[in-house]
Amino acid sequence: MEPGFAFLPPEKARPDVAKAQVALDLARRLPALALSARQAAASLAAGAHGRRRAGVGENFWQFRPFIAGEAAQKVDWRRSARDDRLYVREREWEAAQVLWLWADMSPSMLFRSSLALQSKADRALVLTLALADSCIRAGERAGWLGLTALTSARDVVDRLSLALVEAARRSGDLFEDLPPPVPLRPREKAALIGDFLIAPEEFATLLQKLSAQGARGCALMIYDPAEESFPFAGQTEFYDESGARLRAGRAEDFAQVYARRLAAHRGALAQAARAQGWSFALHATDRPATEALLLLRQALTEGAR
Amino acid sequence: MNLAFAAPYVLLALAAAPLLYLLLRVTPSAPKRIAFPPLKLILDLRKPDATPARTPLWLLLLRMALATLVVLAMAGPALQPPGAAAGKGPLLLVADDFWPAAPDWPARQRAAQARLDAAGRDGRPVALLALSERGDPVLEESGAASARLRALAPRSWLVARLPTLPRISAFLQAHPDAGLVWLADGLQEADGRAFAEKLAALAPGAEILGAERPARALAAARNETDSLDVAVRRAGAAGPGKVLAFDAKGASLGEADFTFGAGVDALAKLVLPLQLRNEVTRLVIANEHSAGATFLLDAGARRRRVGLVSGGAAEQPLLSPLHYLRKALSPFADVREARPGAPDPVGVLLEDGVDVLILADMSLTAPDLRQKLEGFLDAGGTIVRFAGPRLAANPDDFLPVRLRRGGRTLGGALSWDRPKPLAPFDDKSPFLGLTVPDDAQVSRQILAEPDEGLPGKTWARLADGTPLATAEHRREGELILFHVAADTSWSNLPISGLFVDMLRKILARAGPVGKVAPQEAAASLAPLQILDGFGALAAPAPQVKPLPGKGFTKPDVDHPPGLYGSPDSPRALNALAPDDTFAPLDLAGLNLRRADLDSAPSLDLRPLLLTLALLLALADALATIWLGGRWRAAGPALALLLLWIPPPAKAENRDMAAALATKLAYVLTGDSTADRISREGLTTLSQVLAFRTALSPGDPAGVDLARDELSFYPLIYWPISADLPPPSPQAAKKIAAYMKQGGLVLFDTRDAPLQFPGGPSTPAQDWLRRLLARLDLPPLEPAPKNHVVFRTFYLLENFVGRTETGSSFIEALPPETPGERAPARAGDGVSPLIVVSNDLAAAWAGGAFGDGAYVLEPGGWRQREMALRGGVNIVMYTLTGNYKADQVHVPELLERLGQ
Repeated sequence: MEPGFAFLPPEKARPDVAKAQVALDLARRLPALALSARQAAASLAAGAHGRRRAGVGENFWQFRPFIAGEAAQKVDWRRSARDDRLYVREREWEAAQVLWLWADMSPSMLFRSSLALQSKADRALVLTLALADSCIRAGERAGWLGLTALTSARDVVDRLSLALVEAARRSGDLFEDLPPPVPLRPREKAALIGDFLIAPEEFATLLQKLSAQGARGCALMIYDPAEESFPFAGQTEFYDESGARLRAGRAEDFAQVYARRLAAHRGALAQAARAQGWSFALHATDRPATEALLLLRQALTEGAR
Repeated sequence: MNLAFAAPYVLLALAAAPLLYLLLRVTPSAPKRIAFPPLKLILDLRKPDATPARTPLWLLLLRMALATLVVLAMAGPALQPPGAAAGKGPLLLVADDFWPAAPDWPARQRAAQARLDAAGRDGRPVALLALSERGDPVLEESGAASARLRALAPRSWLVARLPTLPRISAFLQAHPDAGLVWLADGLQEADGRAFAEKLAALAPGAEILGAERPARALAAARNETDSLDVAVRRAGAAGPGKVLAFDAKGASLGEADFTFGAGVDALAKLVLPLQLRNEVTRLVIANEHSAGATFLLDAGARRRRVGLVSGGAAEQPLLSPLHYLRKALSPFADVREARPGAPDPVGVLLEDGVDVLILADMSLTAPDLRQKLEGFLDAGGTIVRFAGPRLAANPDDFLPVRLRRGGRTLGGALSWDRPKPLAPFDDKSPFLGLTVPDDAQVSRQILAEPDEGLPGKTWARLADGTPLATAEHRREGELILFHVAADTSWSNLPISGLFVDMLRKILARAGPVGKVAPQEAAASLAPLQILDGFGALAAPAPQVKPLPGKGFTKPDVDHPPGLYGSPDSPRALNALAPDDTFAPLDLAGLNLRRADLDSAPSLDLRPLLLTLALLLALADALATIWLGGRWRAAGPALALLLLWIPPPAKAENRDMAAALATKLAYVLTGDSTADRISREGLTTLSQVLAFRTALSPGDPAGVDLARDELSFYPLIYWPISADLPPPSPQAAKKIAAYMKQGGLVLFDTRDAPLQFPGGPSTPAQDWLRRLLARLDLPPLEPAPKNHVVFRTFYLLENFVGRTETGSSFIEALPPETPGERAPARAGDGVSPLIVVSNDLAAAWAGGAFGDGAYVLEPGGWRQREMALRGGVNIVMYTLTGNYKADQVHVPELLERLGQ
């Protein structure tokens, strides 16, 4: 067993107070995340995004003539006093945006090499929680795709953590490689964080289903630096989380093939994401988490007001 | 060479090698396990035989070689020279322990030791027989024989070898299966050929060791007119070399090279002033440590003591014959004269121990005087008589020839003849080779009776054939008569150069007499100092017997070479007499097996095999690491390998350090006191420089002229010790190059108290002069007061050291422009050398309390301060050159700029 390249035990990947604290620190280092408004979800929940139409909100939208039959308290008397007609003051419909979050908690994410700062699962979890906190602070609503409902509670980090621990206990640490392919409602947003070591076709199908009603989002592929540089040589036996084995007489002979295939795999994933209007980004665990958070913010706030 | 094993049974383990082959073949090295999530991407590349189930063949071979080496090493293999194991029974080692074996004695001992060791390994008893010993060979265990061999030292005399032969044959009869090894010194001397023939007959195929070694020896030394000629003889193919001369205290006086032509004789000419030549007591061939390569000189080779007696009473310069003799002789002889008015001048001079007695115009008629002179001739003295009015008027018969009554006057008022010139010297004359000047003319002479044998006695004659100088060998000495007067009244010979040359030739012929009374001369000479086989003088051993008077030239066991007689005028007995043969041993046609000393003794292969095995093990470890891809873990092993690589030579480090910091340097003279003082002095000076000036020198460096690179040091301080041998020609060349390239050498003769104006040069000055004569240097002058070296940092008058009075010399400056009073003058560059005599380093050296480490003369705080200031100035001069001389023009330049 090489100490440098190993899977961590699953319980190490569970959210705990320390990770929550890290996530909160990370989130608080950046301003609150107001999501892109153009595609704000047609939600009834009040939020920060004006819908360019009259509705429930705080900001002035327009004065319209009073229609007979309406309640008299709707009349804006200050405006009406200027001429001899009656006006009603309308406010802009301001809705909250929705962000669905999902992080890959499957066994392959438990990998950590000696080159990385932390395991992929830890990085993904920290990023997800930080994103959630950031959203809630901006007045948006967030939820874990397939696990929790949307919430705008300020203690969203604790809630998501609790839900994850609960799910782990229920499922015996068996998490899926991909979120459940339920169609999201129009103009909702999603952030998927994982290593996506799956067939690109599966990934394409998933995105297709998620965005079937017009939801968009971003996918962040997290990788360990060892998974990119392939720093192995000599007689080696490789194994993965599924128990597959590969014995190499000279591991360095595989480096080139692997690099080619990895590039092809990433290309296919990015292609699938682009086809559905999603953005696709890469993040290595030896880079600071802030970088990834900034990437995600950029992808999610594209076209923000 | 044949191979032998100490424990051959261990070799059976080699049979286990195939087992090892099988074991290694089936056990591959374990791969390392690595978790790798994206394995799916390359999982399809899995090949059924992708893992090396078997060790690669080359690794297998490597490991088998390793195992074989270890097994071989355990078996204790050794390479033995052929013949080391000759014979089955005991081994008889016959060793020549005479001086010709001395130069390579350690090699001979090693070779003999190897034979003893080989015999010891085989369990054979040995007998060691040194030819100078008188006992019978005794069988003993090899360890005891080794101890005796180590105690053996070469003797300084030769002993005939043949008398030893019966003992050898007796031993061989008692032990018919014995092997015989003769450690020969390779010389024909002491009946070598006869001994070898008999030995070959006694023990056919016996081994003869080291007979091919060439040897060199000094046969004779003659004091010629301008050099000391040393005859060198060789046996075998000895190469050229060098003869060193030493005085009685062991100080080196000079050296001379010699080369052998095709023959066996070579001549080394020691060109030295006569005074120094007379000091020489010991001649040695460099790097040839044997009694034969050491030649002792006694009074016989020394400068002659000459006594002058005149028949005339009062003496007037230019008119007295003694005046001319004195002037002619004093440069190369020790001239003695009796006190004016002494009653018996001849007796006084004989008491004084003269070697040559010159009697000018004396008539010897008193019988007691003639008795004394005959005694003097008996002792080997030389008597030179000059004619004169008194002798002409009253001739006696103490002369080499019979005289005719009355003389002959040429060119006088009553003669037709003109004054006669001299005839050229004939080839029997000892004056042969001297050129006769045209203007030497004789106007008056005394004539010899034309007896039988007169031509044989004649050394010089006039143009008409009448003898001018006649001589006769009488008793042990020589009696010479000049037929002219020693003053200019009879001829102008005494004021010609020929007169001096003739006297010099006579002196060179003259034998020593020494100050010994007649009864002492007959007695034996007690040993004074004895040479050992390596050519070192030591106190005589108790068994050395006194030398039985004259005529004993062949040293033997009772009379080894050395010095005999009184300490004042010892008599030298040398290992090789001038007429001794010195030929290599001829072994042609003999049934003897020759072996060279260098054919290395038994070579133990165990260390070699184990080292190889270790290297292979290291290679195996590296290969395993490489196969396992664990290069990073191999770091420590590689570090170990790198540590194992020897560090680069010290000199390079030292040069690197010297190149990185400006350092003052001093010459390591070999005199430890001088070196210590130099180091202390320069250390203090460096500190003072760092404290007072912008220069912060590193620690001073001692440089060995022969080995070290000099170009890193701007200034080299060289304290001169006259006792030490002069530097080698290579070192002198290096110094010359250093000076040419801009370095400055500060010579310190350290002898200011010995110098006084107009006085003779001191030994250190002579030494320095001899050194500098070999270098191409600009002329020197006493450092002028306004030289820039006195202006570079402090304003000084002189370089003060432990003493204050000594003068300093520096490269001569171009002459000063008249009328200009330059405050500081400088040449174009830095002087390549400064010669001081005040022992500067001793004054610089600081003690523990900030005061001087050495006592100064006259002393005081101020003197030390001035010494340090001088040092600062010299260093500043070295580093800045003529900068300060240009500085004095700055006000003028500024003024011009202002306009």
